[in-house]
Amino acid sequence: MVLVVGILGGLTAGWIRAKVLKRPLRTIRLRCWGLVLTAFLLQLLIFSTAVRSAFLSEKAIAFLFVATQVVLIFFAWMNRKEPGIWLLGLGLMLNFLVIVVNGGFMPISPETVRVLNQNAPAGSWQIGNRLGKYSKDIVIETSNTHLWFLSDRFILPGWFTAPIAFSIGDVLIALGAFWFFWSIADVETT
Amino acid sequence: MKSLSSPLTTLITKFDSQTIRLIVVIVTLVMFVISAGAPQAGGGIGH
Repeated sequence: MVLVVGILGGLTAGWIRAKVLKRPLRTIRLRCWGLVLTAFLLQLLIFSTAVRSAFLSEKAIAFLFVATQVVLIFFAWMNRKEPGIWLLGLGLMLNFLVIVVNGGFMPISPETVRVLNQNAPAGSWQIGNRLGKYSKDIVIETSNTHLWFLSDRFILPGWFTAPIAFSIGDVLIALGAFWFFWSIADVETT
Repeated sequence: MKSLSSPLTTLITKFDSQTIRLIVVIVTLVMFVISAGAPQAGGGIGH
């Protein structure tokens, strides 16, 4: 939800800004965009049921997940001069750090899971396991979590329809996305 | 075939290269954000 707000909010704000200022949308050339497509498709593969259950162990999924993050970090580095990309990259780095030091998945505390899944039947999740089939989150006690402050520990207010946990890194990614899309109305520089 | 390709050609020619480039940039950034922050959102599509 945080990420959706960053993308849609930024796109809307950038477009309105261009209209108000009567500017054409800026020409943007992203370098190595094929890397993002590759990482996205690989994640689609490793988090899909059929492939995951048929061929991949949890360790393999964790390894590939981390590998996709490395690819994305490289993309961010290659495009760091574009507005907001460095912030996106910083958020990604924070997520990457906490994921790597906790075994390849994003840690989430049992307390947070209980708040998110108040009606979940007993035994539907376990400490030490991933939170569901398609999740990047793994349930770990806060005391056993390295860099716990970077984990998925924030929860959207109760009036949001979807219960979602997010990290500081996610907030920076959302802000970076907003900044990037806001900048499409910047004056073209040659 | 001709009747099918004709509207398609018309549609494509309406977009100039800058528009296509902008669409590629937006799609790339959306994929980047999903992959960086919520990969299960992409992986869960269709389930």
